[in-house]
Amino acid sequence: MALKINEEKFDDRVSQGLQDSFMRGAVSSAQERMYTRRLSAAEELGNWEEWRSLGEQIRQHVLKNLDYYLMQLGENVSRRGGHVFFAKTGAEAVQYIKEVAEQKQARKIVKSKSMVTEEISMNEALIDAGCEVVESDLGEYILQIDNEPPSHIVVPALHKNKSQIRDVLKKKLGYEQSDDPYEMTKFVRGILRKKFMEAEIGVTGCNFAVANTGLICLVTNEGNGDLVMSIPKTQIVVMGMERIVPTMEELDVLVSLLCRSSVGQKLTSYVTVAGPVTGEEGDGPEEFHLVIVDNGRSEILGSRFQPVLQCIRCASCINVCPVYRHIGGFSYGSIYPGPIGAVLTPLLKGYDDFRELPYACSLCGACTDACPVKIPLHELILKHRQAIVEKEGHSPLAEKLAMKMFGMGTASPSLYQLASKLAPSVVSPFTSDGRFGKGIGPLNNWVNIRELPAPSKERFRDWFIDHKKRGTTDERNHS
Amino acid sequence: MMKVALFATCLADMFRPNVGKATVELLEHLGVETEFPDSQVCCGQPAYNTGYVKETKKAAKNMIRAFEKAEYVVTPSGSCAAMFQEYPDLFRDDPKWHDPAKELADKTYELTQFIIDVLNITDVGARLEGKATYHTSCHMMRLLGVKDAPFTLLSHVRGLEVEPLPNSQNCCGFGGTFSVKMPRISEQMVDEKVDNVLKTGADYLIGADSGCLLNIGGRLERLGKKVKVMHIAEVLNCRQGGNYHGFENQ
Amino acid sequence: MKGTIHNRDSFLNHIASQLGRDHRTAGITRPAWKHDAPWEVMKDYTEEQLLEVFKKQCRNIHTAVIETSKTQLPGVLKKLVSENGGGPVIIPEDSRFEEYGLTRLLKQEWPQENVPVYQWQAKKREENLKAAETSNFSILFSDYTLAESGTVCVKAKKGLGRALHYLPANYIAIVPRHTLVPRLTQAVHDMNRAIGNGEPAPSSIHFISGPSNSADIEMNLVVGVHGPLQAFYVLV
Repeated sequence: MALKINEEKFDDRVSQGLQDSFMRGAVSSAQERMYTRRLSAAEELGNWEEWRSLGEQIRQHVLKNLDYYLMQLGENVSRRGGHVFFAKTGAEAVQYIKEVAEQKQARKIVKSKSMVTEEISMNEALIDAGCEVVESDLGEYILQIDNEPPSHIVVPALHKNKSQIRDVLKKKLGYEQSDDPYEMTKFVRGILRKKFMEAEIGVTGCNFAVANTGLICLVTNEGNGDLVMSIPKTQIVVMGMERIVPTMEELDVLVSLLCRSSVGQKLTSYVTVAGPVTGEEGDGPEEFHLVIVDNGRSEILGSRFQPVLQCIRCASCINVCPVYRHIGGFSYGSIYPGPIGAVLTPLLKGYDDFRELPYACSLCGACTDACPVKIPLHELILKHRQAIVEKEGHSPLAEKLAMKMFGMGTASPSLYQLASKLAPSVVSPFTSDGRFGKGIGPLNNWVNIRELPAPSKERFRDWFIDHKKRGTTDERNHS
Repeated sequence: MMKVALFATCLADMFRPNVGKATVELLEHLGVETEFPDSQVCCGQPAYNTGYVKETKKAAKNMIRAFEKAEYVVTPSGSCAAMFQEYPDLFRDDPKWHDPAKELADKTYELTQFIIDVLNITDVGARLEGKATYHTSCHMMRLLGVKDAPFTLLSHVRGLEVEPLPNSQNCCGFGGTFSVKMPRISEQMVDEKVDNVLKTGADYLIGADSGCLLNIGGRLERLGKKVKVMHIAEVLNCRQGGNYHGFENQ
Repeated sequence: MKGTIHNRDSFLNHIASQLGRDHRTAGITRPAWKHDAPWEVMKDYTEEQLLEVFKKQCRNIHTAVIETSKTQLPGVLKKLVSENGGGPVIIPEDSRFEEYGLTRLLKQEWPQENVPVYQWQAKKREENLKAAETSNFSILFSDYTLAESGTVCVKAKKGLGRALHYLPANYIAIVPRHTLVPRLTQAVHDMNRAIGNGEPAPSSIHFISGPSNSADIEMNLVVGVHGPLQAFYVLV
């Protein structure tokens, strides 16, 4: 799956999302559950704001010194016998991974969940090269056999209900049992067990790389990521270049924030920090490759959007977003949906395909409030809007004109006063019974579903002058 | 006597003058003299939130000048108060305007925030019979950080029972130009908000931002629902035995 | 043997130039962090208090905690295994089995009672994985035990690899009481200090909090996915 997940227009995607009543029910109930869990997980710590600002400080320090920490990481991985490949583009990363697979003559590859491998379309390339690539995260596996993209970065199959999942398992794998999640999970466990045991290469993502040890941290609940890095003789880790911490002490803070924010747990069942083996442990990857991917990230460094690189992919912004709540993940057209997607996707792939995303936001700030590393998400969304306005031709003409008038009106008090005084009579052809009817361009979008009162005949400012002349209300009532 | 400059907001000035009137009367009742700097315009938020920085700056400069002499600026809108907080950043590279912008931001208070934090009053002596629910507006709660003040003040309104609004943390779908740029998404959001309001069985929906109230109220009205929409200034200005711009003479 | 590094310099120079400066290869130290928040958690708790927190958290993560003494330990393990489907049992190379009086159980009693015991071996990759896949139980010692999250931490070493944590159906961690610390903070601090003193970091560090689970289907929690279906902590 590439970063861009469909070819439809934004409006059509939204229509489909709005019509998917199961997805909407699933998303809103998940959001509500996560809201409570995240709040109580944060509350337990007592000083959540201190944790957040610590998380922010760590991420900012790392970004500021990213070249240094990546160098240190590379040295340490190499010292442990691992190979390090710095990939400027997704294509370079995929090419390297393909070469490793070819060199190993590998046919069977098992994977744990990784957003960056989705971003660079790694699976497709390996499949084209004749490999079997099996996703082992339960949700990702279900999507893979049904050929669907993820709609959420932590709970990828959130949009599917259990009977849809049963049908997929039945159709593709001959599953005969009920739609009980427990039974379906057991079934998949049986199938994937075999895949883990047979795999020649394991591919994992990287929640955080630890620079001073050359180890990679993976955070999971299912145990699949650990099997991927235990059994196959070759492991390939694909990491977004910014996902790094100086030492395990900073890892502590970020993993604590990640687990609490993404799933409301103190720690997930498995938090593993691992790298190349010495050969005496008795299993683990004999050959280890770390692929560090830029793929557009460095263009964000040093720009006004740099804070988005603080992201630790916890999805808490998605879990609180009132827009995602209604339109779901696919409407964003990107593997990164929700507020983080609205910021990150246009940066990685440009405005041409994704220019609506920064507007699919009411600027309510819930994402900014939830972010465990204090990315000012709604402000970055606003900065996209500014960038679109700055680039000539990107914003609609009518809007530009309206804003020009706005600028003139608000810069000149007398013009504003005149306009506001005239407003009731100017708009009177469009109003009846004290309300707006249809007829004025963008206002139709408002009055199609809601009433809008006509401007009041008496402006507040006129009343105020009168009021002062009459003396204050209390004086009046007491006299 | 303490004197405050009123920042009425354009929505109150043009669409809901009653909100401005109630604010003035309430402040006077609490012993605060009000003035209305006549050159005030819009705070610039519609332009700002659409990405038009130049136009926003024009509005902002005007507002900074309008309130230059005020000791306190009080506004019956969490969102507009929060917009003033953006001004210093708007002028971060403009030394001439940055400091005055900061000064304005620092002396500006949303109405309930002013009553609680500056006047130290929790009971304004209001009375309103019935059941209400309160809509926490996003900008007031998150950007301005005023969470408890409205609830504290409402809890002292005699005769008023305040029922919590389910999923109150979710945006009502107004979002300024969002409501007309993304009308279908906005519709779903306001519909869910309306459902939640109806679930409470409240007689009144109270809020501290005219934008949200215009949105939720407009939808309630279109759906023919009887819930009365009141700005918190109007509620707090409901007192017995007088001709006030509270509920009685809406 | 050192591994290869490709494309590093151009990649890092580009990052540095985006950051508006030359590439830094030395002299970066971690700043003073703004807060000590991680150290504040359960700061003054006694061992008893930590134990209470630990036991309570284990209930949340579907993990049974059995308290026992060194002398009772063999009996407890025997009972646990026999009540949950018996062997085979897999164990790592670890001198603590001897130290905790388990040699007789592992070498004599279980084998005689038809509970095969496989000991993980440093150089026997294929055999290890095969044994782990078919084992009903794995039994290991916790190196650090985190009260807050109900976590055992095991460092890999010679004769102690990875898959034995994840392949067997049931997981038993023996938790020496002295390994109990408030949270992740103390464990990583300790390990990081050792690394700072020049000790090589283990090739893997496993923090395990209960059995595997997933909520990928309609956000319903299913306990037991790819890793163990059940976990038991035996506190000694």
